[in-house]
Amino acid sequence: MAENTEPRIGVFLCHCGTNIAGSLSIQDVVDYAKTLPYVTIADQYQYMCSTPGQKKIDDAIKEHNLTGVVVAACSPRLHEPTFRTATKEGGLNPFRFEMANIREQNSWVHMHGMWEEATEKAKDQVRMAVAKAAKLEDLIPKSVPVERAAMVVGAGVGGMQAALDLASAGIKTYLIEATPTIGGRMSQLDKTFPTLDCSQCILTPKMVDVGRHPNIEMMTYTEVEKVEGYIGNFDITLRKKARGVLTPDEATAKGIVGGGCNGCGDCAEVCPVIKPNPFEMGMAPRKAIYIYHAQVMPLIYTVDFDSCVKCNLCVDACGDKKAIDLEMQDEFITVKVGTAILATGFDLIPIEGKREWGYKQFDNVISSLEFERLICASGPTGGHLIRPSDGKTPMAVGYVLCAGSRDNTGGVAKAYCSRFCCMYSLKHAHQMYEKIPGCKVYLFYMDIRSFGKAYEEFYYRIQNEGTKFIRGRVANVLEDPVTKNLHVYTEDTLLGRPVDIEVEMLVLAAAIQPKEGADVLRKKFGVSASQDGWMLEAHPKLNPCGTTTAGVFLAGVCQGPKDIPDTVAQAEGAASAASIPIHMGEVELEPYFAMCIEDLCAGCGMCVNLCPYAALALGEKNGRTVMVVTEAKCKGCGTCGGFCPGGAIKMQHFTTPQIAAQIDAFFAGGEQ
Amino acid sequence: MAAKTYNIPELDTKLADRRYHLTDANPEFTQKILKTSRTIANMCYQCGTCTGSCPSAPRSSYRIRLFMRRCVLGLEDEALTDPDLWLCTTCYSCTDRCPRDIAPTDVIMAMRNLAFLRDIVPKNFLQTCQLIYNSGHGVPNNDVNRAARTKLGLPADPPTTHSYPEFIKGIQKIIDHYGLKENADRILKGD
Repeated sequence: MAENTEPRIGVFLCHCGTNIAGSLSIQDVVDYAKTLPYVTIADQYQYMCSTPGQKKIDDAIKEHNLTGVVVAACSPRLHEPTFRTATKEGGLNPFRFEMANIREQNSWVHMHGMWEEATEKAKDQVRMAVAKAAKLEDLIPKSVPVERAAMVVGAGVGGMQAALDLASAGIKTYLIEATPTIGGRMSQLDKTFPTLDCSQCILTPKMVDVGRHPNIEMMTYTEVEKVEGYIGNFDITLRKKARGVLTPDEATAKGIVGGGCNGCGDCAEVCPVIKPNPFEMGMAPRKAIYIYHAQVMPLIYTVDFDSCVKCNLCVDACGDKKAIDLEMQDEFITVKVGTAILATGFDLIPIEGKREWGYKQFDNVISSLEFERLICASGPTGGHLIRPSDGKTPMAVGYVLCAGSRDNTGGVAKAYCSRFCCMYSLKHAHQMYEKIPGCKVYLFYMDIRSFGKAYEEFYYRIQNEGTKFIRGRVANVLEDPVTKNLHVYTEDTLLGRPVDIEVEMLVLAAAIQPKEGADVLRKKFGVSASQDGWMLEAHPKLNPCGTTTAGVFLAGVCQGPKDIPDTVAQAEGAASAASIPIHMGEVELEPYFAMCIEDLCAGCGMCVNLCPYAALALGEKNGRTVMVVTEAKCKGCGTCGGFCPGGAIKMQHFTTPQIAAQIDAFFAGGEQ
Repeated sequence: MAAKTYNIPELDTKLADRRYHLTDANPEFTQKILKTSRTIANMCYQCGTCTGSCPSAPRSSYRIRLFMRRCVLGLEDEALTDPDLWLCTTCYSCTDRCPRDIAPTDVIMAMRNLAFLRDIVPKNFLQTCQLIYNSGHGVPNNDVNRAARTKLGLPADPPTTHSYPEFIKGIQKIIDHYGLKENADRILKGD
């Protein structure tokens, strides 16, 4: 394109079905656009993003020799890439395209009875976009190489699946886990709905696969300390927490041949400190040197330095293996990866905050995860279900669904549906009948959400087994002080009668919330959270695994409540998405970076400290000190450009003349 | 659809169509309640926490959940002519526990106001109104109470309008401002 010729702009209005055309006059805006300076052609189409719509742009550029394209449609977040491609197809530089958002910022917010006003506003928006389009310049995106490695944070079933997929695709994968073992929440479960597969039987082989995959570097008891860099080149500093125990490899490296932890457990036997085991929800003891359970991966003991008294009994018991080092300190390691997947999972809400249900006030009110451990064959009772107050087998058990979910009263409660509580409570009801003949099961519910494949059929099965489904949310629970039985009060809304049901144990299907610490972690990766606290995906429908940070992806419950099949499916999706830049070998960065106009730069260096991405530095050029931009690090936020006292920083695609032209166009009201 | 008639009044009543028809609903009724109660009644999902919490429900046919449903559907006549409307003790347990943060008690209060506008109020409520007007007390002192108070070493009458009848005028002025006594008299007379 010749630079010195008069700009020739094409304007295209999108009806977006009735999304836009239903609230303002497209024809009026098109007619108006034709009167604007530099506008050579103005056209409209029902769906500009469709093939015929894009072809209009392509054809117009060629026919009218356009220098710039304006599409007035939806948000650039949705279709800027689409129309840039169309602009490129027509033979123009893709950055010669400008979008006027007349949907989200106009028709959708002026939907009823504001036809004239919305039309006028659309004219303003188009006029401003044309003013900018006339001043757009060719920009060339910068390509950067992508490190052939990926990181997965969180080694639950989602993180493990993502790591296995990435690794099997030939990518070196770091699997980071904060606790001493991989496996996550799924390893705490007894059986899985609706197939009643034993959770351990399907999970532990996966754990072993992870452990021996040549491309997976499993790092347990490790946390993300710092994240620097950008897609393709993340430098991630990890804190390897002091475990107090050497692995066989670490021992060999230290010259202790044949040493290191072999998981024999002699140390734990002699350890005098007893603490509750968080894996068993505090219902079983562990020592200060411990493993969560027998199937941990890796089978390496861990010292809890918060409770260790350093009596050295374990060191003696370990003997020649010399695996225990009670003076071990946290270590920091930096790894370079191209992309990262967050799979941090969930916690139960502190359901004791709902005082009316009596959790932590009454012995026999337990959470669903505690029930899961109590009925699990490898749990603290060996799978013999007993109630906490007296160790007897409960013959009547109640399940409270939506315990804190679908509740917008604030506090610990959550407005969203936690999605899997219905199904696991049905499973719990089934396990009761399976294990305790003659028992009575009452399930208090509002709606049974059995939405997945073969879930509704599972519901039929449980109903047929005899569980009494009482449609009423539990109003309150009182304890009989003598028998420690519980009286559950609600209304059977289908019968229209208040009920008082006495049970021997009550299980609260507590709502879930993001894992403790997930908020700190997501901020390190620049990932946003949605209003409900879960990590925010790039698009809820079309990009559910991506985030607004390029190169960072989400898998599993950290993005929102999900059951195991959905978690695994999303993990595979995230792994696939995260492998694309790595397999491509390089990524294009948006050319929005800051540029130093060296003639104007005084080398004061104030911008260097302001930059939130550490993209700026001072350097020597032609014998003068000037600011130098590391383009790949710059996000084009404009902080430096807005601040520079000498006006020496040019923000590409958002230059002062371009912005000023837009402002002028707005205030001038189109009058020249 | 025209109702089928058997020409036998008893049978016609017995076999009348009891289905809920769209014509039974008055959307304005819902709007009036939302405005008066200032609560988000439309968000009710009929979970039953309210009735389960209600001290009145186990001992009567009063179902607060049912009134919430009538409010949302605009079943004005069914709600306002149901004598159960007056069985709420306004203890606010339902409001306290409602997971949708609705104030069902306030819906009941709004309905009672709308019922009053149609002269639908139980006799005892109106008589209470008259008692307050005349004595300053909904439950005036009586001889049994006086004896009990004396026995406890208290003055026979409490330090209220019973001891200072000159203040009854002020109470009457407030009640007159809202035409409460006037309406109570009129409705009771019409009975």
